[in-house]
Amino acid sequence: MRTIKKLAMALLALTLVIGLAACGGSSGSSGETGSSGGTGSAGSGSNSGGDGKIDTSKFETITYVVLGDKPTNGQLEKVMAKVNAIMKQKINAELQFKWVEWADWQTKYNLLLASGEPLDLITIGTDWLDTWGNAQRGAFLPLNDLLPKYAPQTYAEIPKEDWEQSKYKDDIVLIPEDHYTQWVNHGFFYRGDWAKEFGITQPITDFETLGKYFQGIKDHKKDVVPWDVNGTNGALYNGFATAYTDNIELPISTGYANVFYAKSYDERYTVDSPIFNDDFIKFAQMMKDWGDKGYWREDVLNYKGDTSAELQAGQSGADQHHTQTFKGLRVTMDQKQPGSDLQMFAFSDQRGNLVSMPITHGGTSIGAHSKHPERALMAYELIRQNEEVYRLINYGIEGVQYVLKDGKRAQPPGYDDTRDSFYSDFWGGRVDKFEIPAVTDWDGINDIYKKYDKIKKPYPYGKFVFDKSKVDAEMTAITQVVGEMMPAILFGKAGDPAQAVNDLRNKLKAAGYDKVKDEIQRQLDEFKKQDQANGA
Amino acid sequence: MEEAVRSGIRSDPSSVAVRTLGYGVIGLFAICCLLPFLLVLGTSFTTEGAVQKHGFNLWPRELSVFAYKIVFENPSQIIGAYVVTIGITLVGTAVGLFLVAMTGYSLQRPDFKYRNGISFFIYFTTLFSGGIVPFYLLVTQYLSLKDNYLAVLLPGLMSPFLIIMMKSFVRSIPHAITESAKIDGAGDFTIFLKLILPMTTPALATIGLFIALGYWNEWYNAMLFLSPDVKYRPLQLFLYNVITSADFIRNSSASSNVPLKDVPLETMKMATAVVATGPVILFYPFVQRYFIKGITVGAVKG
Repeated sequence: MRTIKKLAMALLALTLVIGLAACGGSSGSSGETGSSGGTGSAGSGSNSGGDGKIDTSKFETITYVVLGDKPTNGQLEKVMAKVNAIMKQKINAELQFKWVEWADWQTKYNLLLASGEPLDLITIGTDWLDTWGNAQRGAFLPLNDLLPKYAPQTYAEIPKEDWEQSKYKDDIVLIPEDHYTQWVNHGFFYRGDWAKEFGITQPITDFETLGKYFQGIKDHKKDVVPWDVNGTNGALYNGFATAYTDNIELPISTGYANVFYAKSYDERYTVDSPIFNDDFIKFAQMMKDWGDKGYWREDVLNYKGDTSAELQAGQSGADQHHTQTFKGLRVTMDQKQPGSDLQMFAFSDQRGNLVSMPITHGGTSIGAHSKHPERALMAYELIRQNEEVYRLINYGIEGVQYVLKDGKRAQPPGYDDTRDSFYSDFWGGRVDKFEIPAVTDWDGINDIYKKYDKIKKPYPYGKFVFDKSKVDAEMTAITQVVGEMMPAILFGKAGDPAQAVNDLRNKLKAAGYDKVKDEIQRQLDEFKKQDQANGA
Repeated sequence: MEEAVRSGIRSDPSSVAVRTLGYGVIGLFAICCLLPFLLVLGTSFTTEGAVQKHGFNLWPRELSVFAYKIVFENPSQIIGAYVVTIGITLVGTAVGLFLVAMTGYSLQRPDFKYRNGISFFIYFTTLFSGGIVPFYLLVTQYLSLKDNYLAVLLPGLMSPFLIIMMKSFVRSIPHAITESAKIDGAGDFTIFLKLILPMTTPALATIGLFIALGYWNEWYNAMLFLSPDVKYRPLQLFLYNVITSADFIRNSSASSNVPLKDVPLETMKMATAVVATGPVILFYPFVQRYFIKGITVGAVKG
């Protein structure tokens, strides 16, 4: 018995020791993530000889982290086979996408970057993928020295000020998607044919006229909800701020609606809030009026239907989303509701309050632990600068996924969506020069782009990251208050509007609004100093 | 339950009142649990158009099995997910139950010198945890279990709560039994397998059910550690993916990048949910009695 007991004890001790050792082991590798020394080559297979030739004798697999659900119909593999034939021939490598699915993507994406796995190319987005936070944690490789050599065309194509926007401290940590036009400013889509019918002959450019349009539907279109909408949609708030104030949104999220804006583009370093603007009470009154008149359904706050499908089915007179969506929806509507003449009232139409998208909304970084960053950059260069590779990755195979019709992409005859559809969720460096408009894209979109180009202001907060560590609890409380009270105010279901807005303000104050505001102001002042030092 | 009622608990007015109230509250609660499922069922048998017009309904306004047709067009995914989940549940429950029972028993043995230290060690993990990042690093970096079903299987094998539950159940078995078996020359394993396990069947049934349920509903670890490169992933994750991808595309700031096209239909989501949960619901009534028995035993002894 004794011996057995001793043995057992020894075993137990052993397992504990091994367990501890396993946990302590290889901590050396994770210790070096923190620093971002400006050294370029991270000791990889392709060392460059003295004659400047790039050595690609060793075949490498380059991974590319993208966000989205991995396609399962087999087309991805077919397209990648074609892509990789070119990759092998040109740079002796193959490209492999790694998917981060939408289910809890934030957690997964950040864990993947924190894990120290040897990732090569990574989709980034400063405004939605916590890119600066990850840069601070040392997730990305500095690219200053590598870019000119391994991605020369891309390096030359991107202007200096855009590289400035891509730096963390002095290191370039990402390649921005700055040559791709996309507008994600929100607004309302409404039917031009109906608007004419109700005597609205000019394009709608303000909320008041939109209200007339809704009333027209109420009066003349039985069984149509003027605007069928989900209570989860908080865009009205942004609509108010854009259309009735000069405020511009700060990249500081407080959930359902962002409480903190900057005063205006000219005073972009001064924090402000549309909620504390007295016009917000007027707006809330207008929304209550709209709600009472039945411009949306009674149970709007719990409604979860597919509002876009309803617009297409003629059951709703409007839908709310951004310009990118409108580009395709217009064509869909022309087919499904011929003559509907879908139009977009962008919130910015009302007073020209429009800020461009950050050029770093999309982009690509290289993982700090990439085993062959040089070859990864070469692969990226091919995607971005080689028309054939670009079109394969973005559109698939010509003849299978699309055919060219008058210079536009159309579906080939016999195309079956479940069988033939292809996407790669490549949002890390699309370029206008290789884009082929689809037949499903509306021709008139360019006029809208021109309209925007006249009034747009450059995005000023590409490198501003709010550090909320000091006000974390208050931010959480504020987010909660907004999530609880704002939907009812926006859809006129909160009783007396003035009272409801005042309640909201008081609750925000109680949740620590002033403290957070001061903290943001402090950080904006810091940011202003840096900006002016960089001559912006 | 039944017997207790019949064997004549005095049916004075107050106890009748208590019972009526009890049945009423529990009945209401049951309805609350049942309604959402009926809603799912009703919606899955209707047309997309009807959902858009009238919202979700308990009774399909326009009967249709279209959603099921779509779901079963590609049944291999669902079948694969079922196989994976059932496999993980069976293996995990068998192994986990054995380990939990063994641990619970050893920690209850008075002649085991370090039982208090180890008990505290186990108990400590219920109070403090390293958080998700170290956990992720442990599984992916140190154990290299990424895209391996073991990453889903191992974390659920033993839970401190169940070990403590087992321990307190074993406490009701007199230590004299172990000692007398020892005198007769039985080794520790013989004692455990031949004497202890048969005496703890109710507890084993309960704990086994807990473990099995845990594995059946497991999706979080699967989500973290099984990337889309794994062809068949557990059922709950499969479902979760069907639903989140649609929600995400609709409501997110990043959706500027996503074409608003391939969003699964409402009815299809519901049909998937029914296909995934239906069989379990049918299976449940047959094991329910063990559940009740086990929990009451556990509660009394605990």
